[in-house]
Amino acid sequence: MEFLAKAAFVFYVLVIAGGSLAAALSHNMVRALLGLILTMFGVAGMYMLLNAPFVALMQVLVYVGAVAVLVFFAIMLTRTPTGGEESQPNPSRKYLLALLTAMLPGAALGWVWLKHPVLSDVTPVQAPMEALGQGLMEPYILAFELISVVLFVAMSGAVILAFRKRGS
Amino acid sequence: MHIPMLGEVSIELIRLVLGLVLLAAFVGGNGVVLVWLERKVAGHIQRRPGPFEVGPHGLLQTLADAAKMVGKQLVTPAGADKLLFWLAPLLAFLPVFVLFLPISWGEGIFVLETNLGLVLILAFAGINVVAVMVGGWASNNKYGVLGAARAVAQSVAYEIPLLLSVLAISFMTGSLDLNRIVELQGNWPWQWNVLVQPVAFVIYFICGLAETNRAPFDLPEGESELTAGFHTEYSGMGFGLFMLAEYANMLVVCGVASILFLGGWKGPFLPGPWWLLAKMYALMALIMWCRWTFPRVRFDQLLNFNWKWLIPITLANLFLTAVLVKVF
Repeated sequence: MEFLAKAAFVFYVLVIAGGSLAAALSHNMVRALLGLILTMFGVAGMYMLLNAPFVALMQVLVYVGAVAVLVFFAIMLTRTPTGGEESQPNPSRKYLLALLTAMLPGAALGWVWLKHPVLSDVTPVQAPMEALGQGLMEPYILAFELISVVLFVAMSGAVILAFRKRGS
Repeated sequence: MHIPMLGEVSIELIRLVLGLVLLAAFVGGNGVVLVWLERKVAGHIQRRPGPFEVGPHGLLQTLADAAKMVGKQLVTPAGADKLLFWLAPLLAFLPVFVLFLPISWGEGIFVLETNLGLVLILAFAGINVVAVMVGGWASNNKYGVLGAARAVAQSVAYEIPLLLSVLAISFMTGSLDLNRIVELQGNWPWQWNVLVQPVAFVIYFICGLAETNRAPFDLPEGESELTAGFHTEYSGMGFGLFMLAEYANMLVVCGVASILFLGGWKGPFLPGPWWLLAKMYALMALIMWCRWTFPRVRFDQLLNFNWKWLIPITLANLFLTAVLVKVF
């Protein structure tokens, strides 16, 4: 079983890495979006590996079903001609900077992991959904409410922007 | 601590593979039968002589249709994104099997046992939208892009009341497990959830029509103003896969509706699977009937209807359900 888990982990890592590379390197916005969707599926697989199927399905429902679709809508509304800026090759200085930016959080995480290695469970315990709900309503209610405030601000901002466009 | 042995894993695996094969046969067979049925419904309701010409009472019509579809040349339009263009029909068709996995066909008859069946179906149903928009965009065709844009606006809008109406049932039963939801309903029609939640049922049905792009909400296709919308450029089986996916999605919508609202596989006398199939097919007939009777709505009417009527009504219904569940 442990071999299977490790194989699944490697598979999901490859899916996430492949998806993110496709998202970062493709010269076409829609292909980049599909790479992003692939990455989100990989992350959902990781949640499955952690024995959190509810979170995994929510990842698919929210990110693939809703967020990716909205991103696609934004791409179509601002459709640039095929020879747009994103289809030009980048200067190599940009790649170097991107690599450095990616290495910063990686290095920080690696340092923490080396200092305090975490012992992983062989088979993680699945949290029942009632526990998830109670967690959101009792100890983490402040974080939960703050997230909804952020979403509310984003939504009202979008509505205000849309109204201005129509008025002018 | 429970560690499954290799034998146990392989039994589960065999069960899954066998289930998937059976589901593939079911989806394919239903595609053929349902296309034939739909042409007959159209022929009878609209007095079309066409579907009655081939074979006795038009029996061979679907066979002729299928042969034509398989035989057609697959053309990629010039300037299209070739990879995405051919990825889209596959992306539309493959997730359909995941949607059928948690459906309980009878007492103890299901492919995948999960207590999150409802979330699984709702999560993977969203991939169909991605497929439609990728197909429409990659066609390099104005009508295709317009169809894709409509599909996105429509499905984002109608997913909200769909989720909210399903949530009302899940509040009542306190479960997302389809087996459990069926078990909580009785054998007789007056013990089914539809009597307690009629508003949720009607709204679920309307949203199901919109989510599967069926008339009167088939605006992504809209053949009178967009030639064929998102699948304008698809020929042969490229279009065939989109169509099979549409029929399979209709079956899933009807199956979930029967399970949530109409008692699933429960019925007074016959064994379970027959009841579920009967209920599914009754709802399918209703969907087809809708298609050949109602005129297509305009796009702004479609969005207004959703945001100004369906969402407030489902929110009120959900609130009322929550209060009643808390009180009793």
